[in-house]
Amino acid sequence: MKHTGIMVAAVVAAGLVVSAEAQEKVQLKIELPKPQFTGTPKDIRSPNLEPARGGKPRPAIDVPAGADKVLSKDCKVTSSDPEPIIGELAFITDGDKEHDAATYVELGPGTQWVQVDLGAEKEVYAACVWHYHGEARVYRDVVCQISNDPDFIDGVVTVFNNDHDNSSKLGEGKEKEYIETNEGRPFAVNGVKGRYVRFSSKGNTSNEMNHYTEVEVYGKP
Amino acid sequence: MNTTTFNRRDFIKAAGATAAFLPTFSVLSQEYKAETIGPAQDQVNVGVIGYGAEGQILVDAAIKIPGVRIKAVCDIWPYHRQKARGLGRLGHDVTSKTVYEDYREMLAKEDKNIDAVIIATPDWMHAEHTNYCLKAGKHVYCEKEMSNSLEKAASMVKAQRETGKILQIGHQRRSNPRYMHAINRVIRESNMLGRVTHAYGQWNRSVAPFIKDHPRLDIPIETLQKYGYENMEQFRNWRWFAKYGGGPMVDLGSHQIDLFFWVWDCVPISVTAIGGNDYYNRQMNDNVMAMYEFKTKEGKINRAYYQVLTTSSRGGFYEQFMGEDGSLTIAEIAARGNTVQREVRAGGPEESQWVEFAKQGLVVQPKKAVSREVTSNVAVDARVTAAADGWPLPVDLLKPAHMPHLENFFDAVRTNNPKLLNCPADLAYESAVAVLAANTSVAERKTIYFKPEEFHV
Repeated sequence: MKHTGIMVAAVVAAGLVVSAEAQEKVQLKIELPKPQFTGTPKDIRSPNLEPARGGKPRPAIDVPAGADKVLSKDCKVTSSDPEPIIGELAFITDGDKEHDAATYVELGPGTQWVQVDLGAEKEVYAACVWHYHGEARVYRDVVCQISNDPDFIDGVVTVFNNDHDNSSKLGEGKEKEYIETNEGRPFAVNGVKGRYVRFSSKGNTSNEMNHYTEVEVYGKP
Repeated sequence: MNTTTFNRRDFIKAAGATAAFLPTFSVLSQEYKAETIGPAQDQVNVGVIGYGAEGQILVDAAIKIPGVRIKAVCDIWPYHRQKARGLGRLGHDVTSKTVYEDYREMLAKEDKNIDAVIIATPDWMHAEHTNYCLKAGKHVYCEKEMSNSLEKAASMVKAQRETGKILQIGHQRRSNPRYMHAINRVIRESNMLGRVTHAYGQWNRSVAPFIKDHPRLDIPIETLQKYGYENMEQFRNWRWFAKYGGGPMVDLGSHQIDLFFWVWDCVPISVTAIGGNDYYNRQMNDNVMAMYEFKTKEGKINRAYYQVLTTSSRGGFYEQFMGEDGSLTIAEIAARGNTVQREVRAGGPEESQWVEFAKQGLVVQPKKAVSREVTSNVAVDARVTAAADGWPLPVDLLKPAHMPHLENFFDAVRTNNPKLLNCPADLAYESAVAVLAANTSVAERKTIYFKPEEFHV
């Protein structure tokens, strides 16, 4: 689907108007892994959980034409956990999103982050994160930030945040928590510029650990 | 054994001396009791055999229980041993030096450090692992099904009797407060449903491919074969191979068919099942439909139907118990079943008897259904809004599903009192007989008739 001649006023979280011009838009197409829920289902309760979607896919994300490219493939990944429990950080951008013991990284308890180095400043229009999607579970305090500072001290823009009680101290988020599935959690970013993209989480409803199968960052190469 | 264990043993001695005087608690009082037996810091040191998906679920729940400390983990897969080391990050004593490939080595080296063992290995190894641990003086929580062989399951019952140790089998619904309330109080004590003549259970799942082998994580073939597995595909998909498991009928049916025994407090006289490996090219049946006849202690015949499908998730998973006065629909996830449905004939004028049940806390009185007269939506007919007629159960479970059953196990361990167990081995053996017989009935295409003595070891 294409949208032409649409006036877009994209406003980033920092309050800067990026553009207000006629742009051709395209629907972001995300390649999804197979659904892989196994084991005993669980009763998941969360005060900030999004309503059930009844099996419906998430709404499509429209991005400017040419801004639908995967920027993160095979990019270098660093982490707050110097010694992941299992897996390797390279799994996170290797393009393998399938759920399997061999495809995800497990980081320790508490708030942990993984950081993708896009290699240079890029204009980011969307991102998607897959944690562990082998069972229905909710990851706590899912936050995505973009910056040109590898230490995330200066010029940090938060583009997704469902930490409703600010327990990870990255700011109070307005997004809803969600049940992890093979769809991951895609979200629009609106052209934020930066070289580094950082994803945080703080355990999940099954255990205290943090897991990342894949992240993808989309934008203009 | 660390210093806290000395205190625990002192406590157990004292508690054991008084155990004989404990009254027979009702199921709900056991929930209360879980918080009152001994000091919360009373530590039980635990080893784990089998740290796959189910083992991790059990450990995740167990470590939420005060006083449970994981000391060592055994798994033949290096990947799982690596994963187990994460428990050290949570304050448990699992390090590179306390993860083992061979359970015998773990028991030998950790003998003084372990009081109890959680076993979550493939079914065919349950008996070997359980019996070894019991004879080594350890208490055991073993996942269901007891075994894919009745002879092996019987050996577990015998080993428990010989050793006198605690052995809990992982039919976790037996300790779920929602199920305990529904079956013990609503059905059995209060007789809200009248005579429950029929039961139904199902667990339907979508099509799922085999878990694929990944070279990155392969176990060396010589190691696999040392432990009896032909190859990595069979190891990772063991539930579908007759040598290792009983297929979906046993994996899933064992939980739900066990409830028929609980509700009726008797054993079946026959099972007639059909099914087969009709969709996948696998060893075990991918669909089974089994009908059981139970003969109650009063001589009445009740019938139950069970279905497991692996090619459609239609209807999901739940259990129903149908009585002359009402029916209970329940599922391990409350959103899929948590209500009692009243038969129109039951409850007297203005359903007064059921209102009284609600006042007693057995169910929650539903709000009146919207009547046809007060709605502009002519499609709504109060007479057929079944959900509005449901009387929800008032009990909730806010913990992980396996946690109450583990709490029950650790309560029994702390007091050294097997009588506290909600699912001891001899009880679990009864349902194992019935569940394994369904596969036999499918294979032999005939009704299997049981003798009462077959359910006892």
